[in-house]
Amino acid sequence: MRLPPQSCEWVDRSQPLGFRFEGRDYSGFAGDTVASALVASGASVLGRSFKYHRPRGLLSAANHDVNALMQWGGTPNVRADATPLIAGMDLKAVNTFGTLARDPGSALGWFSRLLPVGFYYKAFHNKRLFPLWERMFRAMTGLGRVDFATKRLHTPKRYGFCDVLVVGGGTSGLSAALAAAEQGAQVALVDENARLGGSTHGASELVDKVIAHPRIRVFTDAYAAGYYADHWVPLVERGRITKMRAHAVVVAAGAFEQPAVFRCNDLPGIMLASAAQRLIRRYAVRPAQRVVVLAANADAYRALQDFADAGIAVTAVIDLRDKVPGEQAARVAAQGIPLYSGHCIVEALPAADDKRVAKVRVAALGEAAVVAELACDGVFMSVGWAPAAALLYQAGTKMRYDDGVHQFVPGQLPDGVFACGRVNGIHTPESRLLDGERAGSAAAAYCGFGEVRDIAVKAEMESPTHPWPIVSHAKGKNFIDFDEDLQLADLENAIQEGFDNIELMKRFSTVGMGPSQGKHSNMNALRVLARATGSTPGAVGTTTARPFFHPVPMSHLAGRGFTPERRTPMHHRHAAAGAVWMPAGVWQRPEYYAVAGQSRAACIEGEALAVRNGVGLIDVGTLGKLEIRGPQAAEFLERVYISKYAGLKVGMTRYAVMCDESGVVLDDGVVARLADEHFYFTTTTSGAAAIYRELSRWNTLWKLDCGIVNLTGAMAAMNLAGPRAKAVLEGLTNVDLSLPFLAVREGMVCGVPARLMRVGFVGEWGVEIHVPAEHGAAVWDALMEAGKAHGIRPFGVEAQRLLRLEKGHIIIGQDTDGLTTPGEAGLDWAVKLDKAFFVGQRSLMAIAGKPRRQQLVGFMLPAGHQGDAPKECHLVIEGGEIAGRVTSVAWSPSLARHIGLAYVRPGMDAVDSSFTIRLSDKSLVTAGVVKTPFYDPDNLRQKETT
Amino acid sequence: MSAITFENVSHTPRAGVKGPGAAAWLAALDLPVPRAPNSWLPLPGGLIARLGLTEFLVEGSEAAKLAAPLAPGVYPVLRQDTALVLHGARLNELLLETCSVDFRALDLSTRPVVLTSMVGVGATVIPGEEGGMPCCHIWCDSTYGEWFFETLTDVAGELTQSSQPRHQGATS
Amino acid sequence: MTCPVNGPRAISEFAYGGEIRPMPDPTTCSDDAWADYIFNRNGSPGVKREWWCHTPSNTWFVAERDTARDVVLRTYLYAEES
Repeated sequence: MRLPPQSCEWVDRSQPLGFRFEGRDYSGFAGDTVASALVASGASVLGRSFKYHRPRGLLSAANHDVNALMQWGGTPNVRADATPLIAGMDLKAVNTFGTLARDPGSALGWFSRLLPVGFYYKAFHNKRLFPLWERMFRAMTGLGRVDFATKRLHTPKRYGFCDVLVVGGGTSGLSAALAAAEQGAQVALVDENARLGGSTHGASELVDKVIAHPRIRVFTDAYAAGYYADHWVPLVERGRITKMRAHAVVVAAGAFEQPAVFRCNDLPGIMLASAAQRLIRRYAVRPAQRVVVLAANADAYRALQDFADAGIAVTAVIDLRDKVPGEQAARVAAQGIPLYSGHCIVEALPAADDKRVAKVRVAALGEAAVVAELACDGVFMSVGWAPAAALLYQAGTKMRYDDGVHQFVPGQLPDGVFACGRVNGIHTPESRLLDGERAGSAAAAYCGFGEVRDIAVKAEMESPTHPWPIVSHAKGKNFIDFDEDLQLADLENAIQEGFDNIELMKRFSTVGMGPSQGKHSNMNALRVLARATGSTPGAVGTTTARPFFHPVPMSHLAGRGFTPERRTPMHHRHAAAGAVWMPAGVWQRPEYYAVAGQSRAACIEGEALAVRNGVGLIDVGTLGKLEIRGPQAAEFLERVYISKYAGLKVGMTRYAVMCDESGVVLDDGVVARLADEHFYFTTTTSGAAAIYRELSRWNTLWKLDCGIVNLTGAMAAMNLAGPRAKAVLEGLTNVDLSLPFLAVREGMVCGVPARLMRVGFVGEWGVEIHVPAEHGAAVWDALMEAGKAHGIRPFGVEAQRLLRLEKGHIIIGQDTDGLTTPGEAGLDWAVKLDKAFFVGQRSLMAIAGKPRRQQLVGFMLPAGHQGDAPKECHLVIEGGEIAGRVTSVAWSPSLARHIGLAYVRPGMDAVDSSFTIRLSDKSLVTAGVVKTPFYDPDNLRQKETT
Repeated sequence: MSAITFENVSHTPRAGVKGPGAAAWLAALDLPVPRAPNSWLPLPGGLIARLGLTEFLVEGSEAAKLAAPLAPGVYPVLRQDTALVLHGARLNELLLETCSVDFRALDLSTRPVVLTSMVGVGATVIPGEEGGMPCCHIWCDSTYGEWFFETLTDVAGELTQSSQPRHQGATS
Repeated sequence: MTCPVNGPRAISEFAYGGEIRPMPDPTTCSDDAWADYIFNRNGSPGVKREWWCHTPSNTWFVAERDTARDVVLRTYLYAEES
């Protein structure tokens, strides 16, 4: 029921908002949460529980009411107690089979004896039946529904910076923020509520001071989702994540009020006293008319005033403590409220419609005899607190159990992390103010602003938390974990079965593993464990509270991803020519060029044949392109490549293979010597960035007199190849094209400075043309234009793969893996073990004396092979055992055969022998070992110079 | 009106050089050499930036001077950058969404040069101020240039469209 | 992580290059000693000297890191090693 306007209420009565819940129309105000608007409209049941489908209402109103999860259109698991009401919302309760009001699933409660703790582990370990159970349980227990039609959201992420980040805008947090800012620090203050003020609900002078302070940035309706190294804290707002980098962090996150455990403590209408206060003060909602207050601390008695102001009649105060401090007892007496000290509620009973608590039974602590049965429509509990210490744990704080306040408090804080207020075990309002000032000052001083203020904070005189707010009951239903419907007996049984360590008990019983992550259950659970094992809560300890503090929407985490895409200078030429793109690392490369009316295979074959019979042009600008200069440039190359380069003649190139220190092939390319002290060399496309970085590291270590420049992006490169290639290039360059195979020349192409390398990768007369990137497209255009008369075709990566395979050239990473040595890949000829030193040399020497593991061979299927051909990664089978694998395979139009490369066992590599390959359908095909190159075995075509 | 303007200045002449002899070589060419690593100095119609310890970027007409004969320990760096100048009231927000460096903490009077990663691409950034509004000069590898430009303008467009964060539920 | 040239930066700007370990003399060491260098790493927690690279500027440097606490004690250029 809505109360008359309250001072400092958060709702805006001038803005009524209509919404729907479970098909019924409701209304609330701007500033309401979904739950406050529903409770204001008289709804008591907001959802049903996960396991037994029991009706549940509001418990915490503090973002862990996981039994009030709702589906809103495509958004699942909307937390009613923390989600602002928006006009037009159409909400449905999540855990219902039928409707919220009539849920046949609630019959599960009758079978709860058949659903013992660890039920899943015990019942569903049968492998064969598991998929069946899995489907059934996913349908039964799933929280919400994913809408696959939801549009991709680009939720922004941004970086933030501050000196001191204060987490929590309650009394101690406000005080800390102010103290730090006064000392000169730039402060960011984050609070998950819509307004600052914490348990004062905004009615605090401090709030105004903080908001007005020029050095304090306030984030409300946002939460610190986790703590990461170097004081990095993501602040999750509704439409954004701010990745806040702080120099110091003050955790003033407060504490979660904890429920008492008694039979049917989950009935709607039974809630934490702080939840009732939130409803009254923030939303002007009266959650009940006649209530029983279950107390064990001063907070409960302070709350009585709020209840009285809201016109709520308190039938009785039941206090777990034997001795109620005089001032508190006097307050009750003054209002004429009966006080049962040393008593507890042992059982709550529902009204006839099951939708609300109707009465409670009271007994002396430890006794079974009911001394009173009190009618009520609400129970407000204030029996203790558990620190909201997740961030402190994540930061590496050593927590200790303080017997004075019966809670965990920071024992040893990491550098730059501070704690104050309830999370620090300080509960009295005046003390929280002081403790905040102390922590804020210390945090600012830690960042170099001002001096640490000398502030002594008094220890609490009485414990705000009862050490055992738990009552057993023969009939159970005394819930400890509302997420997972875990009762006291479930935990006791788990402990009896031997899961008597907090980590084991958690996993077996699933306590604390639901969406609220134990915010209201972990403390009571570990008390149960401590008592059952004759230990103490401090010795039992807590489990680690991992990020995130609250669930973060997937759309936030996915956010706007930055996946850089690299395009060569000829990118748009390829697009215009019909390129079908494929990613190659960060690059986009043409896989092939689509021709209208032709299949992919036909296009690729056409491109390959153009190179074989006429001329083709491929963009190879994605290759790593490096330059090294200096007196020791040759020495450097000698050390990083397995072949020799000191003797390489100026104007010549040489194939280059790089190994790591263990002798495994890392990369390959071509080294060109442009001058005595000047080399230009290439790396593979995928290796470019890593190889440049690794070479830089070697150069840092060796301190040779040479310098490496990375020209990968600065140079465009293309390979013009085919019997007609020379004719195409002739009119466009001043370089004498009778240059020998493997020569390199610097000259002009189409009027721009270029480096020409005579290469043979695809097995025809070819030249790689490297020009500054800005000229790449113009040179490409000129070559295509000049090539028209010769039938030039651009060719893509697939055609190049086929052409090189016909020549038996390997591709690093495809025909090699993370264990391949040069010898295994058929590169023995390139290894010069007689050099003074190169990376991998010592390992290759050791390997040379050992039997070879495998050998790469060329293979061919018989002419006229019918049926499927092998694919890459198909296995070579010998005597029923795996004896190798296919690394490359293709249909060669030039040879009219299936050809490929495969690793086989040593001894299976003799030319003209054969082996079998197992296809995906498990059929076997026979392949013959063939000497490579398959095509033009004497390499006459590529070497031709006339 | 767009809150952030983008100017593509890739066509400006520029040249680079690196190596242990680079600083002395540039000085001998009568170019002012920034003393501190990662700082820059103005040149007539351009600038000279020291990238790290021993690499330099010269932009503007003075870049032509770097065609001079090399000396020992001097290695030319072919510059083919995509170069952008960004300017506008909301530039800082754009930087916060795209780069982890706190540009507002920099002292512009020291003429800082920042080698960092923006939207996942290695970039060189010179922050500045013009007409009372933040501006910055950004260089990146031109093969990343198009994607870099598209991504920055996309983020900038989003900033201009809405100053309020969207609500998570407003999806269906 | 603080790059000695570029200053403190987000860890995402850095690449790890492994612990700095002296290479045994390949011409004199045994196969076993060499294999130990190649394949074995010291995983015991403690202060390690590590290669790190600030990738946007391609700056390699040395970080002394306490791997037990994941705290970087200091960073410096390899050439400046004291």
